[in-house]
Amino acid sequence: MRRSALRGLLLLSAAAAAGTLLPQLASAEPYLAIQQGLKCIMCHVNPTGGGARTLFGDVFAENVMAATTLPAGFPAWTGQVVPDFVRIGGDLRADWTRSTMPHSPITDQVGLEQMRLYADVSVIPNKLGLYLDELVAPGAAQTMEAYARYGDTSNWYIKAGQFYLPFGWRLQDQTAFVRQVTGINMTAADDGIELGLERPNWSGQLDVTKGVANVSSPSGYQVTGQLVRIQPLWRIGAAAAYTHATAGDRQTYGLFAGLHTGPVVWLSEADLVRQAGFSNGTRSMVPLLGEIDWLLHRGHNLKLTYEFYDPELNVHNNQQTRWSAVYELTPIPFLQLRAGFRRYQGIPQNDAENRTLAFLEMHGFF
Amino acid sequence: MLTAIKRRARFALLRIAVLQLSGLLAAALGACSGNGKGLDANGQPLNGSGGGGNVPLAADFDSIQANVFTPICSVCHSGAAAPEGLMLDAQHSYSLLVNVPSTEVPSLLRVDPGNPDNSYIIQKLEGHAAVGAQMPFGEPPLPASTIAFIAQWITDGAPPGQSGGAAEALAVAAVAPLDAAQLERPPAQMALTFTRALDATHLDPNSARLERLTRSISAADGTETQSVTVMPIELHIPAGNERTLLLTPRGVLPEGDYQIVLSRDAADELASRDGARLAPTTTSGANDIVARFSVRMQP
Repeated sequence: MRRSALRGLLLLSAAAAAGTLLPQLASAEPYLAIQQGLKCIMCHVNPTGGGARTLFGDVFAENVMAATTLPAGFPAWTGQVVPDFVRIGGDLRADWTRSTMPHSPITDQVGLEQMRLYADVSVIPNKLGLYLDELVAPGAAQTMEAYARYGDTSNWYIKAGQFYLPFGWRLQDQTAFVRQVTGINMTAADDGIELGLERPNWSGQLDVTKGVANVSSPSGYQVTGQLVRIQPLWRIGAAAAYTHATAGDRQTYGLFAGLHTGPVVWLSEADLVRQAGFSNGTRSMVPLLGEIDWLLHRGHNLKLTYEFYDPELNVHNNQQTRWSAVYELTPIPFLQLRAGFRRYQGIPQNDAENRTLAFLEMHGFF
Repeated sequence: MLTAIKRRARFALLRIAVLQLSGLLAAALGACSGNGKGLDANGQPLNGSGGGGNVPLAADFDSIQANVFTPICSVCHSGAAAPEGLMLDAQHSYSLLVNVPSTEVPSLLRVDPGNPDNSYIIQKLEGHAAVGAQMPFGEPPLPASTIAFIAQWITDGAPPGQSGGAAEALAVAAVAPLDAAQLERPPAQMALTFTRALDATHLDPNSARLERLTRSISAADGTETQSVTVMPIELHIPAGNERTLLLTPRGVLPEGDYQIVLSRDAADELASRDGARLAPTTTSGANDIVARFSVRMQP
C-alpha cells in the first residue's frame, strides 16, 4: 500500500515534469568512474551506481562526455524538477541486432529494448529519500526499483524496499557472463534492506534480501556483501553472496579490479558460483570478464571485452568464450550511438554457443 | 608508522588489482572454448545424467523438450515444489504450457498457439515479462536462435510431439500438483493431463471436484471423523490442448488437505473425443481420487 502510494506520487511528479521538459538522452558505465577517479555516487543518486543521475552526473554528461557540447543558450538540463527535492531522469535504448548461427538462417531484430523513468524525492535533504525506477516499455509497466533511503550517502545509509543488489561491476551489458551467471544484475531487483558505508576511499554494502530465486516462494533469503577500495587511478573490490532457496542454495564470490592508464581503462572481474539443486548435484561455475576502454578522442570510446565461462568445473571441454568490440560515439550530450560485434565460441556440437552478433544501438538518457 | 602501514596496504591492494588484470589478460590469450569431446549438445558428459539432448534443435515440441525443457528448465521446474506449479519434465510440460494461463500474469497464456509475442514463455525467456526474473533463472539467457525455434513452434500452432501421440485407453497421465505434494502456498490452478484428447462437450461442472478434508476428534469418545467440503472451482479444457483439464479455484485455498476427484457417474464422467470412457485409476466406485496434496503455509 505504501509502495503503491509512493509509486503514484513519484510517477505523477515524473509525468508532470516529462510533459514540460524536452526529453534528452545519454549513458553511463563503470569505466567512466575509473577514468575520472570518482565514486559511483558522484554521478548516480544510487550509491552503488546506475539509474538516476545526480546534478554532477548531468553536468558531466552535458560538458565532458560528448564530442560536442550543446549550443550556447541551450537550456542546461539538471534533472531537478523541484530544486533540492525532486529529481527525474530516464533511459531509452533501441537497437538492431543481427544474429548468425551455424546451420540456421540469419535473423534480424529491430526494436525498443527498454525505456525507463527515474524519480528521486529528497524528503529530508541528506537524510531521507525515496527512489523509483520504472520500466515503461516494452510491455506492461514494471517497477524495477522502489525504495526508501535513510542516512547521508556520503557517510552511511540504510536502504529498504526493492532494489538491485551490489555485486561486481554494474555493467551496461546485462548479457555479460559475469552478470548472467551470478544472477545479480539489473534485470532482476530484490526486496530487503541494504546497509551502506561510504568513506573517501572505501565503499561497502551489506544486504539482507528475499533473494530473486525466492520470488515465488514464501521462504528463503539472500545475504550479499561488497567492499571496494577506491583510488584516483585504480580500484579493487570483493563481493560475496549466499542465497538460501528451495530450488537450491547458491554461493557466489567475486573479485574485481580496475586501472586507469592514460586514455585506457582496464577492467576485470572473476567470479565463482556454486549452485546446488541440479539433477547431478552442485555445480561450480566460473565466469570471467576482461575489458579495455580506450578513449580515442572526446566522445569516442572503443570497448574491447574478453569473457570466459566454465559452466561446470568438473566437466572438461565445455568452456565458452565471448569476444566483443564495441565503438561508442557520443556525438552530442545525452545521446550515444553504439556499433558492436560479439563472437561466442563454445563446444562445436552446440550451434547456439557459436553464434555471432552484430548490433547498432541508440542509447539516451535525460 | 601508521602512514607507512597505510602506504604498504595500499600498495598491496594495487598489486592485487594489477595481478588480477594481468592474470585475466594472460587467460584471455591462453584460454579458449572447449572442444566438446565426450559431451552432448548441452555440454554434459555423454554417459552422465545431467544431459538431455542429442536430438537436433528444431521447431517441434519433442526437440524443444529434449534440448531446452528437460536439460535446462526442468532442473528447477520439476517435482512438487516446481516454481508456479509449472513442471517442465517431459511428462507434464505440454499440458501445463499450451493454452494454460500463466499464474504470474493470468491474462496471458504460457503458450498461445499462433501468437508467440503474447506467449508468456517467450516474454520470460526474452526477459521482458511483467513479473519476475528472466529465465532460465541465474543462467545465461537462451540464445536468440533457441528462443526463435520455440517462437516458431508456437507460430506453427504449438502442436504436440510424436511422443504425445494417441494412447489406447483414456486415463490420467499426469497430475499437477503431484500426488502427496506438500505445498507451501495454495496453487492458483491444478491440471490433469490425459492420454487422449477430451471431449469438451462432455465436460460437466461435476466431472471433477476439489475436496478439502477436515479431521476432527470427538470429545465424547475420542473417535476421529473426517468431513469433506467440496471447494468451488472452475473446469476448463484449453482449446488446442484438449488432453488437459484445468481446475481453477474461485478463491484462495486455505491451509489443509485436499484431493482431486474424478466422477465415474455416467451422467458427468469425462470421455475422449471418440467416446472412450475413463479407465479405472486408484479407487473404484462412483469416484476416482487422482491426487491428494496439502497446503501448509510457511510462518
